[in-house]
Parts: sequence; C-alpha cells; structure tokens
Amino acid sequence: AWQSGVGGHLGGLSVSAGGLVNEEVKRTVDLSTHLAKITTELVLSNQGHSAVQSFILSVEPDLAPHLAYIGASVKLPFPTHITQAERQLVVFQGNHYLYSPYPTRSQTTRVRLASKTVETYTKLGNPSKNDEIIEYGPFRDVPPYSEDTMKIHYENNTPFLTIGSLTRTIEVSHWGNIAVEETIDLRHTGAVLRGAFSRYDYQRQSDSGISSIKSFKTILPASAQDVYYRDEIGNISTSHLQVLDDSVEVEVRPRFPLFGGWKTHYVIGYNLPSYEYLYTLGDQYALKMRLVDHVYDDQVIDSLTVKIILPEGARNIHMDTPYKIDRLPNQLHYTYLDTFGRPVLVVTKDNLVEHHIQDVVVHYNFNKILMLQEPLLVVGAFYILFFTVIIYVRLDFAITKDPAAEVRMKVASITEQVLTLVNKRLGLYRHMDEVVNRYKQSRDTGALNSGRKTLEADHRTLTNEISSLQARLKAEGSDLAEKVGEVQKVDSQVKELVCRSCQEAERLVAGKVKKEAYIENEKNLSSKRQEFVGRIDSLLDAL
Amino acid sequence: SSRLFAVIRFESIIHEFDPWFNYRSTHHLASNGFYEFLNWFDERAWYPLGRIVGGTVYPGLMVTAGLIHYVLNLLHVTVHIRDVCVFLAPVFSGLTSISTFLLTRELWNQGAGLLAACFIAIVPGYISRSVAGSFDNEGIAIFALQFTYYLWVKSVKTGSVFWTIGCCISYFYMVSAWGGYVFIINLIPLHVFVLLLMQRYSRRVYIAYSTFYIVGLVLSMQVPFVGFQPIRTSEHMAAAGVFALLQAYAFLLYLKDRLTKQEFQTLFFLGVSLAAGVVFLTVIYLTYTGEWACIHVDFFFPRHTVFYSHLGPFYAKIHIPIIASVSEHQPTTWVSFFFDLHILVCTFPAGLWFCIKNINDERVFVALYAISAVYFAGVMVRLMLTLTPVVCMLSAVAFSSVFEHYMGDDTRREKPPAEDSSDEDDKRNSGNLYDKVSLLTMLMLMLLMMFAVHCTWVTSNAYSSPSVVLASYNHDGSRNILDDFREAYYWLRQNTDEHVRVMSWWDYGYQIAGMANRTTLVDNNTWNNSHIALVGKAMSSNESAAYEIMRSLDVDYVLIIFGGVIGYSGDDINKFLWMVRIAEGEHPKDIRESDYFTPQGEFRVDKAGSPTLLNCLMYKMSYYRFGEMQETEAKLDFRTPPGFDRTRNVEIGNKDIKFKHLEEAFTSEHWLVRIYKVKHLDNRESLDHKLRSVVPKQKYTSKKVRKSYLFQ
Repeated sequence: AWQSGVGGHLGGLSVSAGGLVNEEVKRTVDLSTHLAKITTELVLSNQGHSAVQSFILSVEPDLAPHLAYIGASVKLPFPTHITQAERQLVVFQGNHYLYSPYPTRSQTTRVRLASKTVETYTKLGNPSKNDEIIEYGPFRDVPPYSEDTMKIHYENNTPFLTIGSLTRTIEVSHWGNIAVEETIDLRHTGAVLRGAFSRYDYQRQSDSGISSIKSFKTILPASAQDVYYRDEIGNISTSHLQVLDDSVEVEVRPRFPLFGGWKTHYVIGYNLPSYEYLYTLGDQYALKMRLVDHVYDDQVIDSLTVKIILPEGARNIHMDTPYKIDRLPNQLHYTYLDTFGRPVLVVTKDNLVEHHIQDVVVHYNFNKILMLQEPLLVVGAFYILFFTVIIYVRLDFAITKDPAAEVRMKVASITEQVLTLVNKRLGLYRHMDEVVNRYKQSRDTGALNSGRKTLEADHRTLTNEISSLQARLKAEGSDLAEKVGEVQKVDSQVKELVCRSCQEAERLVAGKVKKEAYIENEKNLSSKRQEFVGRIDSLLDAL
Repeated sequence: SSRLFAVIRFESIIHEFDPWFNYRSTHHLASNGFYEFLNWFDERAWYPLGRIVGGTVYPGLMVTAGLIHYVLNLLHVTVHIRDVCVFLAPVFSGLTSISTFLLTRELWNQGAGLLAACFIAIVPGYISRSVAGSFDNEGIAIFALQFTYYLWVKSVKTGSVFWTIGCCISYFYMVSAWGGYVFIINLIPLHVFVLLLMQRYSRRVYIAYSTFYIVGLVLSMQVPFVGFQPIRTSEHMAAAGVFALLQAYAFLLYLKDRLTKQEFQTLFFLGVSLAAGVVFLTVIYLTYTGEWACIHVDFFFPRHTVFYSHLGPFYAKIHIPIIASVSEHQPTTWVSFFFDLHILVCTFPAGLWFCIKNINDERVFVALYAISAVYFAGVMVRLMLTLTPVVCMLSAVAFSSVFEHYMGDDTRREKPPAEDSSDEDDKRNSGNLYDKVSLLTMLMLMLLMMFAVHCTWVTSNAYSSPSVVLASYNHDGSRNILDDFREAYYWLRQNTDEHVRVMSWWDYGYQIAGMANRTTLVDNNTWNNSHIALVGKAMSSNESAAYEIMRSLDVDYVLIIFGGVIGYSGDDINKFLWMVRIAEGEHPKDIRESDYFTPQGEFRVDKAGSPTLLNCLMYKMSYYRFGEMQETEAKLDFRTPPGFDRTRNVEIGNKDIKFKHLEEAFTSEHWLVRIYKVKHLDNRESLDHKLRSVVPKQKYTSKKVRKSYLFQ
C-alpha cells in the first residue's frame, strides 16, 4: 500500500444554487516520483435554485486508509523482489474517473510517468501515449460515484523512501536557545533486493542498483547551528553541510546505500536561536514552530511523535495545531539543574506528507522570576559547599585533644603578632628619618621635637606590647621567647642610632659640626643601622 | 589534555576492541542495574555456549563508570553513558598523577613527587592506555596500583592500622579492576620478605602486613571472577607463605624475649622440624586428593597462561599460539622502550641508584618494584604499563636530586658575592663554576623539553587513533575518513534479523557485539581455544568443508576484513597464518600449516601461492570479484593489472572465484569489511517451495525454547 497526496486545486467555483454538476474535469496524475500526486481542476455548475455554501469532495473507499493530505492512491512494486541489476517496476491502481458525488459532463485524465518504459496500461477509451504521458478521455456524462479501475505497470526507479517513525523533540530554553532533535527510522519500501549485493557492480556500473538511495537532502531552518548527524554507534561521517542564504542544507548520506527492503536509523539535531520562534508579552509566551520539518523532498512519514519540552515552571499551556493531531498526556522531563521537571507536550499523528509542514503554536505562561531559579541553585550549592568547608576547617572535630598541637598553634599566632609589631616599629624609624630630613631643610625645631616625642611614645607602646608577647611566649615554654628578646636588644641599639642621627642633624643645623664631618658621621651611623636592621630581619626570618 | 586528541580529531567514540566490550557491559549495567549485571548471561557471545559475563569480568571499570553515570543523572546532569566511558580514562589518569605524587613524596621529597607527577602525566607508555575513548581496565588499574602502593608505603612507615585498611580497600578496588592485581599481591610479600632478610623487621611491618594480608584476602575474594583463587592458586601462595613466615618470625622474637638462650634453641629446632613435617604432610594430602592438580588446571586458561607467559618469555610462544598471536604479548623491543619512555629509560637507573644508596624501608620497596617491573616489561609489551609509573618515579628522583644539588648550591652561592663585593677572585671562581652548573642545568632542562615534545608527538601520532575510524590524508592535506567498519556493522545492525549469528575471526567479536548487536561465535575474551580453532578451521578449509562447519555452528553471516583495496595491513589475510596455526593445534589431521606455504616456504597470495591457500574460504571471501577490479583510483599507473592487492603488492593468484554455499551480502565502500550470507540448505533446493517458509521458523523457535529452558 502506498500513501500519496492530492493537491485539490479548485478551478472556477460557482456557488449559487444546489444540484451541482461537474461541468469540466481535468485530472493530472503525476506518477513520476514515489508519490502519486493527483491534481484535479474542476469547473462546477450549480443547476439548482438555492445557494451552495460548500461542496463535497469524496475519496474512493479503498483509498481512505492511505489518505495523507487529501486523497490517496495505491502504487505497488511489481515484481516485489528484484536483483541489483534489475529495474524497479511499479503498478499503479487508480480510477479513470473522478470519484465525485455529482454527475460530470466532461473529463480528461492525464497521467505523467517516470519513464517511457511502460509494461501495460488499461486502455479505456483508447488513450494516447506520448513518451511519458498517457492521456485518457475525454469522457462524457459520467454518473456520480462511478469507478473504473485504471492500472498502469511502468518503470519507476525513484527511490521509495519512507520514514517509518519520526520523533521530533523541541526543547525550549528561555536562555535563548531552542534545541531540535529528530530521530528517524528510514526504510526503502520499493522492490526488495533479491540475492547478493555486489559492491563491485555498484561501484563500476552506473545503472547498477539504480533504485537505491545514496543520499538525500534535508533542509533545515536558516538559523540552524551545531548540526549533528549520528546514530547509536557515533557520528555518521558521510554527510555534508551547506549553509545557504535562506536555509541550511544537510546532505544526508546513510552509512550504506539503501536498497529495497533495507532500513537505517539516525538522529539529526540542531540549535536555533529562540528569538525567531518565541514570542512574549509580559508573562505570556508563544512558541511558533513547524510541527514537522523537511526531511527529504516528497517525504512520507508513517508515524510522527512530537515532544515539546517547555521550561520548568510553564503554566496554562495550550496548543493551536494547523490540523487535527492526537495529544497524549503530558510528561515531565528532567535535565540540568531541574528540580520539579519540565512539562513535555506529546502529540502524535500518522501518515504525513510534505504538505503537513506547517506551524504549530504553543501558548503558555511563565513567570520570569523563575529564570533566576537555576543560577540561584548553583550559587546555593556552592555556598553550602564552601560553608561546610569553612565550618570543617574552623571547628575542631577531634575526639582527643592534642596539647602539643594547640601550643604550637598558639605560639604561631603570637609570633605572627610579634612580627607585625616589629615591622611597625621599624616603620617608625623610617618615619623619623623623614622627619629629620624635613627638619634639615626647614630648620623647624618644633616639628623635630614633636616628631621625636611621637616616636618615643609609639616606640614605648610597641616595645611594651612586644615584651608582653615575649612573656606569653615564655609562659608557653617556647624557645622563641629568647629570640624575641634578642630582637628587642638589637632594636634598642637601633633606636639609639636613630636618636643619635637626630642629634647630629640638630648639631648640623646649629652649625656645631661641619658638613663633611656630618656626612661622614651619618654614613657610619646608617651603615651600622643597616647592619642592625639586617640582624633583626634574619632573626625575624628565624621566627 | 593531550589525551583528548582523538576526541577532537574524530569524535567521542570508544576505541579499539576490548573497550567495546567494556562499553557494552557498562551500558548493560547502566540500563539494567547492578544485580542484573552480576547475573548477566550474555547469549550473544560464544554461540552456542554463551558467556556468564558477571562471573568472568573484573567489574571495577564498569561499576566505576556506571556509578559516575548514576550520580550525574541523579543530579539531572544528563550525560550519556558513552561520554562517561570515553572520558573515564583521562579523569583517572589525573588521579594517577596525584597518587604518583603522593607515593614519590613518601619515597623521596616533594620536589621529586612533583616531577614524577609531571612525568606520569605525559609519558607515552601510560598515555597509550589512557587516551579518551580507550575505556579499558588498565586505565583505572594504574591509578589503583599507585594508590595501593602509596597507602602500603604509608602504612609501613607509620605502622598504623588506619593506613593499612585504606591500603586494603584500594587493593580491593584494584582486584575488581584488573588481573594485574597479582603483581601487587606478589610484590608486597616480596617487600616484606626482603625486609626480613635485611634485618629490617619492625612492629610496623608486622602490623601492616598482617592486616593487609587478612583484610586484603577477604576483600579480594568478594570479586566474583576471583572467587577462591587467592587461597587455591599458585600465584597467591607467596603471599600466604610470607604471612606464615612473618607470624613465625614475630613469635620467635617474642619467645626470645621470654626464654633463655638454651631453651630458645631447642624450641627453634623443634618448631622448624614440626613445620617441615606439616608442609610435607599437606603436600602428600593434596596430591592424594587431587587438589593439587585442581590448583593447576582448574581455572580459565587465558589468565593462567598469560600469567605463565609473564614468568618466561618463551612459555606462551611454544605452547599456545593464540596468546602469541596477539601483538601485545610479544617481547618488548628496545625501540618500544625508548618510544614509550624516551629519556626516562636512561635516567631511571640513576634514580634507582640514589634510592639504593640512601636505603630505607620504603626505598627497598621501590627498588623491588623497579626490578620486577623491568623484568615483566621485558617479557611482554603489554606489561610496559606496570613499568611506566616506577620509571617515572625513579627518574623524577634522579632529576630532582641533580637539580637540588646544583641549583640549591646556586642560590646559596649567590649570597656571599652580593654581600662582600670586594673579593674579586672569589667571584671569578664561582663564575667558572656557574658556567658548568648552568650548562648542566640547561642540558637537563633541554632533555626534559625534548621529552615533553616527544611525548606530545607520540600521543598525537601513535596513540590517538580510534582504529574504528581510519583517516587518510590527501596530497593537499585534506582528510578522508574511512568509516567502513561502522558502515558494515551498522548494516548488520539494521538489515539482518535480530538473532542471526555472525562468524568472524575473534578480533572483531567485541566490535560486532558492541556495534552491530549481533550474536558472535568467538570474541576477544578467547577463553575457549577449541571454539576459536573451529572458526579458524572453517576459515582455512575449502568451501564445502567450511560449509559443514558453519552449518553445524548455525552461522548465518560471515564477516571478514579485507584491506587489499586501500592497503590496510591489519586485515584477515595477514592474520590468516594464525588462524591456520590455531586450527592446526586442535585439528592437526585436517589443517596443516605447511599446506599454506609454497614449496619454498613462502606465504604468497599470487599465482605461485599454494593451491590450498588459493581455494580456502578466507582467500575466496577476501578476493571474491576482486579479480575483475581494475585500479582506477591510482590513475598514475595504468599498468597495474586487475586484481592488484595493494596491501601485499601482488596480483592475486585466483581470479575466478565462485561460491556455491555463500553469497555476498554486503561490502563496505572501500571493501574493508565484507559480509557473506551463508545460504540455507533449503534455499539451495530451489524446487521445494513448501519447506522454505516453514522449516527455518520452527527450528528457530525450538532453539529459543531450549535455550531459555537451559538457563532458567
């Protein structure tokens, strides 16, 4: 059995009164691909008296289950099994007449085939055959619901590709991305390959395996990014991607050529920017996307499942579909950083063709505050982590007390304090130097004296503090106390030197010493000071 | 990050052969749960025997990957199990690096530890087993090995039960991960034994070893595949012996404290003679009951024989061709030592010397580790892996002590001239010395730099190919991907019945099971030599004899690898002699290796080849219709005759190949994989149409029923 689509193009429509008659019918049956496309042009006339609001387009009862878009036909490969070298022959079974509830005045049927080779065809009304075209009719005054089997057996090497099942997952993220993934089961439903598949013939002879499928093109939206094409065992390396102005074309080549009866399975996925498909007004959102997208030209899909994953927290969801589809109960989907799951809309539909590529609109409400939930979750998790670490490090969880370690820690903290104090004291001396230098220029004795006073005062407090710390170190029984004592001793010498350089400066300003002598003196003093400070530093290092 | 070359260049895919099995079982574990995994009977392998997977694998790897996957998915981090598997090895090599640092720090100092960690991070010998996608036991086992050794050294140092228990748990992880745990359970007793001999016995050693032996033994017996081996097999006897010895020694020491010298001596002799008597009686008892024989024959051959081949380089070569046929089991050449370790192979004896010179308890250990690992690595290429960590550690010791010596002096000498700058002579002298020192330092740094460059180069060129996907480069530098393996496996997966049985050489068993999801006859587990020999026999017989074998094994498809079109050297014709040899080992009457050689003793596939070879199944399947093929791709040379084999560079000898019982089912794009369908008998009798539709179905259902009955 074979599905097909009919584009019902309605020609001159007269909708004035009841008692409709088909004045003139032109049917074109296009059998050149694996689909049978029947286009019918009707000229209706109204023989009745009342106005007609609608008319009925009916379909042959046999074909009803194959109906895809509007209308159907039956096209079967015959013979059903061919070898690699053979060509594929197909039998088409249809109706010579338009199946209509109204009488028809005049009608013609034109059949377009895929090739010139035709085995047989029904010869109702002596049709004319011209290359790939068979013309039937015109038939005059056909009663309503008339049927007469048209049977054409001809060569058709177009691959009979069918998508057994397609699962399309659309995952919407409010962070700007829509991820689409399609899982596709593909089947060659033409004449089944009989006997061996010879790679040699396939490579060397161009007409070998002519009805097989090497590759086909899938057209993705123009903004598609990060396209992947893979299956259970990894990336399918035999594909090509072409970015065009208005679309992205993927040349999908299955891992192996598909012969009749062979099947394959793959996943194709890509990302889309959400601003092209997601519309918002305050808390209300609308997602407008294709329910099913292009897979290959003249596609046939046996069964379709679409899953639309909305962001966590979407409410009041409802869906506007272009045609009737089956809604399954909603599901929940968990992915990165989800807590209560994302709502998933699931819809299914059977028998779809290219004309079903239409937009679906999903409306829902979403509180924008919820966008912050996931970042806050991460922040919270890290906060808890760091907090636990802090607590673990700061608090003592040991069952037994280790006095030695405690003492060590105490000593370490005291020595640290000592270090800062000593450094502060050395800073005082440097400050004093500056004061002396300024004094030498300004000759302001008051400033010098006040500077000296502050030095004395600060120095005393610092020294006292250090001695008290030294005493505490001694109490802890640490030998570092001695070293601190040494530091104190050296420091008092440094202090002396500072005072002396201060006095020297005074004497210089007072003119009691010559400049040369002063410089010599100063040099001596400073070198000595350097030495002492170096000793203090090395002592501090030892601490 | 150099481990990710393969993922960046190709994709996130499992490499090679064994990883495919590990991946498949991890997948099973992830989708069916732990208990289901432990009880897994894999009916897709070793048809018609099947394989009890849960009881014949080291589950550590799968459980680790499965656990990571489980935890991630619990946190809703939707990572596919494949990606977990692919990136497991690089993650674990990070942990290896850390544990190497810890171990080396215990042995020497922090600086050496840091160097060792750097070395192990990039040394090709280890990278070869831990690139992304190489999802194999070794990847995590080296971490477990290093960490166990670290904890052991720590527990010998401290004598604390805490560290020893840690060591046991780590040892348990190692046991569950890799058969190489035998190395640990022999090395640690050896260490203790040598310590005893060196009069370095201490309470710490006693505590550490007694705890380790008891707890480690009990834990290791929890792994289903190991089971009772630790108390029954000869590999583990050394550990038990040393344990007894240690107890006796400690007991004697205790008595020595309590007794006078005279008493002690009598007691000592009494004890020794008693012990000898007990050992003697035990041996007699075991021999009598046949337990001893059991000990030797009882368990699966691959582990056992692989272990024997560890002991002597020539054991396996002579006795079991199947082990010798694996390239990993060949003795190591000097080239591969240098290739995998580069400069470290030269410096590590220096490190060993440093260790022996300043000996202490844990350095005894590392010295023993080094010596035994060198020996094993010399026996088998594969065991290079156990050598690599110790080489890194000892080289790090060598480098670090050299640097410490020279550069440490450097900083100290830098101070005096700065302080008293008046002493000019001194400065000149030290300047001279500076030159030498800096020259030497520069040289060492150069060596290290070259080492790093070499490592990156080796990683990128030798160890980063998935081998499932091949890449070739055109003249303009663009890349061609030859995806023939997956093409054919995927064809099998999609277009054959779910229950068909595929015969191939055992190399491809895991890949067929993993990628094509079809039943195989033999695979890389190689536990049943006669089954493999049967497949080998089918491949090397003529078509009708092979057909008999294939029918008896219910083979539906035969898969072979053929590289003659693109010049792929790892194909089945090149492996063919091993098939013949293995088949000959089991069926010496039917298959003789000499039949496949020319009278001159050459293996040739051209006209001069032996007729047996030119008509055997493997040859026919490889070259079916190849004789018609004219090399049109090599347009430069029109003189190449049709049927020119580019792998072996000869024109094939038999171009007229017809099949009676087989038909070509699929050949991949570059002819790399060829699959043949075995025709059913019914099919051949074309007149009888009635049988055709009914019989195979009946057969099939009855088989299923029988199978499921058997394993309920």
